[in-house]
Amino acid sequence: MRRNVYDDDHEVFRQAVREFVRREVLPHVDDWAVDKGLPRSFWLAAGRQGLLGLEIPAGYGGSEAGDFRFNAVLMEELAAVNMALPSCVGIHADIVPPYLVHLASPEVRSEWLPRLSTGEAVAAMAMTEPGAGSDLGAVATSAVPDGDHYRINGSKTFITNGHTADLIVVAARTTPDAGPKGLTLFAVPADTPGFGRGRKLDKVGQPESDTAELFFEDVRVPKSYMIGELDRGFMHMMTWLPQERLSAAVTNLAHARQMVDETLRYATERTAFGRPVGAFQANKFLFADIVTRLDVTQAYVDQCVLAHTRGELTPVDAAKAKWWTAQVQNEVLDHCLQLHGGAGYMNEYRIARAWRDARVTRIWAGSNEIMKEIIGRDLGL
Amino acid sequence: MREFLAAELPADWRGVGALDAEAADAFAERWRVTLFEHGFLAPSWPSEYGGAGLTPLEQVVLAEEFARVGVPTGIQNDVFSIVMIGNTLLHWGTEEQKQHFLPRILSGEDRWCQGYSEPGAGSDLAGLSTRAELDGDEWIINGQKIWTSSGHLANWIFVLARTDPDAPAHSGISLLLVPMDQPGVEVRPIRNMSGDSDFNEVFFTDARCPRENVVGEVNGGWKVAMTLLGYERGEAAATLPIMFRTELDRLFALARENGAAEDPVLRDRLADAYVGVEVMRFLGMSSLARFLEGHPPGPDAAVSKLYWSEYHQKVTELALDVLDVESLVVQGRRPTNVTMFQTDDVGAPNDSASWITTAMISRSGTIYAGTSEIQKTIIGEKLLGLPK
Ligand SMILES: Cc1cc2nc3c(=O)[nH]c(=O)nc-3n(C[C@H](O)[C@H](O)[C@H](O)COP(=O)(O)OP(=O)(O)OC[C@H]3O[C@@H](n4cnc5c(N)ncnc54)[C@H](O)[C@@H]3O)c2cc1C
Ligand SMILES: Cc1cc2nc3c(=O)[nH]c(=O)nc-3n(C[C@H](O)[C@H](O)[C@H](O)COP(=O)(O)OP(=O)(O)OC[C@H]3O[C@@H](n4cnc5c(N)ncnc54)[C@H](O)[C@@H]3O)c2cc1C
Repeated sequence: MRRNVYDDDHEVFRQAVREFVRREVLPHVDDWAVDKGLPRSFWLAAGRQGLLGLEIPAGYGGSEAGDFRFNAVLMEELAAVNMALPSCVGIHADIVPPYLVHLASPEVRSEWLPRLSTGEAVAAMAMTEPGAGSDLGAVATSAVPDGDHYRINGSKTFITNGHTADLIVVAARTTPDAGPKGLTLFAVPADTPGFGRGRKLDKVGQPESDTAELFFEDVRVPKSYMIGELDRGFMHMMTWLPQERLSAAVTNLAHARQMVDETLRYATERTAFGRPVGAFQANKFLFADIVTRLDVTQAYVDQCVLAHTRGELTPVDAAKAKWWTAQVQNEVLDHCLQLHGGAGYMNEYRIARAWRDARVTRIWAGSNEIMKEIIGRDLGL
Repeated sequence: MREFLAAELPADWRGVGALDAEAADAFAERWRVTLFEHGFLAPSWPSEYGGAGLTPLEQVVLAEEFARVGVPTGIQNDVFSIVMIGNTLLHWGTEEQKQHFLPRILSGEDRWCQGYSEPGAGSDLAGLSTRAELDGDEWIINGQKIWTSSGHLANWIFVLARTDPDAPAHSGISLLLVPMDQPGVEVRPIRNMSGDSDFNEVFFTDARCPRENVVGEVNGGWKVAMTLLGYERGEAAATLPIMFRTELDRLFALARENGAAEDPVLRDRLADAYVGVEVMRFLGMSSLARFLEGHPPGPDAAVSKLYWSEYHQKVTELALDVLDVESLVVQGRRPTNVTMFQTDDVGAPNDSASWITTAMISRSGTIYAGTSEIQKTIIGEKLLGLPK
């Protein structure tokens, strides 16, 4: 089905991203899986190409267009490679910068935004803790005033870009026993004494991303490194979560679409009993079912992208897009794996890795259950 | 059997899963010897070939008791050696073949793997293109097999090869017994999704085996191959429900410990899984009843294969949801290879590594030993008599 969301400017940008992927990503991406992380050379190349500054004003070296559709195009093209790339780049370029641009002090903005847009510095977002995932109100990492600084103590886990990040946006507790109302955001430079990183976590999928544990032991950050207002960290996060969830939805769907295209090719070339395996009616109907689901889902996600571009996307509609695309993606990839037969179970085939990569999309950035909770609450239940 | 197990197992035995990977491997080696000495390694085989000559009902009792206490099975390629080729030789082999091969399987001298699938022939097995030609007293074999489980641990491979290229697909195939320790056989490992490389490609370049190493008739291998697949698909009716029930009990324990059991949606699915495993038990009992009446495993094995493989994917998926964010990171004891391809070892700790790895392994269940699509085709054609 023809999509009507993107115009010529976006398609030109899409071609530029594709060219970047072809030149700077595809030749190395298998090595990154072995090394379990993206090298700095990748970030610098992405910065040179102008891919990291979509949320950063020109005054800070970015290319902010005020048009989320460019972000969406970037996510779609990276998702065609794997899930780790849009995740790592998304955190760095799509999720962290708005907090700095809209809420941070001039000092933090001028110190960090230019380096984030060139890729000289990599950003991470640290909310989750061993004891606080879906329930962010349980965050225990504390930030206590100490002269003109805050002193941060605690630990974070499952942090994307955690092993390489130079700047980490941290949610910490500034008022004890106040649940979500006692959280504040801080920008923490990774070279601050007392900051430490744990091991790279051994994940089910996405080996190209360096998910890590982070430790804070009397980490002192200047008060000017507080982001937004004291004790309003949760509110700030709620403001920007819809964009994160919409990006997740765009990524989920683009990843599934790419793998379906590749599976279709496989099922056309692979023969059994004298026919392409896709030609058996059971499989032909399965494909028909899959592409229908993708197209119908795409229509909804595209509407959300347009709404967000106009600043009208509601948190509830973003929640719907996030859980539904995660579900569709997981179901569709499972069919794709099955259609590959034994090859589908072997890591040297892209579908095996894609299947493992996708398992997390029903959990991260707000699990499917939490999304349904948001939607259910909105129904007055 | 209970007396035997009480006498042979340590007093504090909680299942092989309670041992760490190295200790589990060491135990498995010792346990195989114990079984061998008591004739329980191949309980169904006649005693003249080193078995225990048990009746079908006795075999079921033994299998149940072993599954209940969680001792390892399928050690050292025994699934291929004993269950598949051993049983097939008993059915089709010449007296010389039985005398020669069966004792060597039990002693552990010969360890087998299965050379069926090829890059171009999986579901459509009869489309295989590995060739074997007679050259005097020897077969000369050329071609390639793939997805050969445990091939790197084996020294013999049973190979389906085309011996009459001009005959219709099903009529020109023979089952050959081929030693792997020869220059013409090369094994290359493949890494699978759960991170292990139990799989291999096996290349044959002018590989040789003696002329008499054919099971059944020359060009009559298709029938033999199907008997063997029956053993691959059929034997588990009694033990699978026990394994899966033990596994589900572990999941219940996990859900209670981490609070997931309080979540009404997860409770629903836990109850559903319980129903699933109970239905499997009754299905197993009815297959068993037919087996005890002397019927060989037939097309109804397709129902059982389809059912347990899909059940297991659902239940391990549920386990990941019970683990919630813990399911993202592999932590703890990984399942060993002593209980291949199904549940984790009995007594294994309730770690994320256990469930994540089991979930990945369960993903292959609807592919190997005949994909779900092929099982449904068998059910449609053979059980329902729908037109082909
Ligand atoms: C209330 C009603 C009003 C109607 N009004 C009109 C009318 O005004 N004028 C008119 O001309 N007709 C009319 N029809 C007929 C209608 O168009 C046919 O019933 C329809 O095309 C199906 O054909 P069939 O009944 O011969 O079913 P069949 O073609 O016999 O189909 C039987 C089943 O087989 C399936 N099937 C068929 N081919 C395949 C395939 N290749 N692969 C997989 N599955 C397949 C079908 O999906 C169906 O489930 C009407 C039917 C109804 C029920
Ligand atoms: C864990 C594991 C262990 C294995 N161990 C061994 C081993 O030790 N030895 C060995 O020889 N092999 C082994 N195999 C291979 C296994 O038997 C094959 O992968 C399986 O038979 C499927 O064949 P294929 O991979 O060629 O898939 P294909 O036959 O190419 O199938 C691709 C897809 O098409 C579908 N399809 C095929 N025909 C039809 C049809 N008529 N109608 C509808 N759909 C159809 C299939 O269901 C599948 O979804 C193993 C595989 C796995 C995953």
